[in-house]
Amino acid sequence: MSVPRGAVHAKWIVGKVIGTKMQKTAKVRVTRLVLDPYLLKFFNKRKTYFAHDPLQQCVVGDIVLLKALPERRSKHVKHELAEIVFKVGKVIDPITGKPCAGTRFLENLSDSENLTEADTTYLSEKLQELKVCSTN
Amino acid sequence: MPMKGRFPVRRTLQYLSQGDVIFKSSVKAMTVNYNTAGERSEGARKFVFFNIPQIQYKNPWVQIMLFRNMTPSPFLRFYLDSGEQVLVDVEDKTNKEITEHIKKILGKSKETLEREERERKKLSHPGTFGPKKYHLRECMCEIEGQVPCPAFVPLPKEMRGKYKTSAKNEA
Repeated sequence: MSVPRGAVHAKWIVGKVIGTKMQKTAKVRVTRLVLDPYLLKFFNKRKTYFAHDPLQQCVVGDIVLLKALPERRSKHVKHELAEIVFKVGKVIDPITGKPCAGTRFLENLSDSENLTEADTTYLSEKLQELKVCSTN
Repeated sequence: MPMKGRFPVRRTLQYLSQGDVIFKSSVKAMTVNYNTAGERSEGARKFVFFNIPQIQYKNPWVQIMLFRNMTPSPFLRFYLDSGEQVLVDVEDKTNKEITEHIKKILGKSKETLEREERERKKLSHPGTFGPKKYHLRECMCEIEGQVPCPAFVPLPKEMRGKYKTSAKNEA
């Protein structure tokens, strides 16, 4: 029976980088939800994986996607870096594509810079109409 | 004595097994980004609170990760075996709508589930007796209308071996 990819069970995993002190290798912590048999509640269970990162582009705190290698690269390294999902400090919201920090966007979302003269005059006229004038 | 917690029904096996989202085998990891405040993320918060335990119970081999307050908009992201990623925007959606949506796009259909159920039934014959792990019943004495187990009700004299051999020796 051929094993096309992965001498390891986990083919694609998402984790957080906790160490980059090794050359071209990132230490990644992966959490999975495991059911406690008595409380019947899910808790995070951590496991650390080592991933091959040839360009050393990971920083501690990145969220990365790891892909299983077809065969083990060394005694502990069985995965490689597929993609950095969220770069620490430079998170990009995938829905809008804009950089954000926490629950707010970093740059102005409205396109007020691209408005032409005609647009601004039209908008100011509309605003004048909306102004409620007090009549005695 | 009531159970502890806000909605302790989430921690019952009956509630967990009521989850009907079973992912296809190509789904490997799921990521939920949501915010702890704000009403746009309300549906996502309810989804994480009520439905994530059901999904994880039914799909124990899918890695689920939760991220809080990283981006302004809430979304789900699925990582498939082929390297494909599925992004699901859940802003202004109730948790029921979210579960329906992911069941439709990435869940196993009812026909697939029924087919797998039938395959599993075919493996074991229901008419055999043996250990509970492999068979339905352990002994004929469990069935109504059959001779009851001699451990609880002694057999009539005519069925007992010592009576039968003594009758044969006499004759």
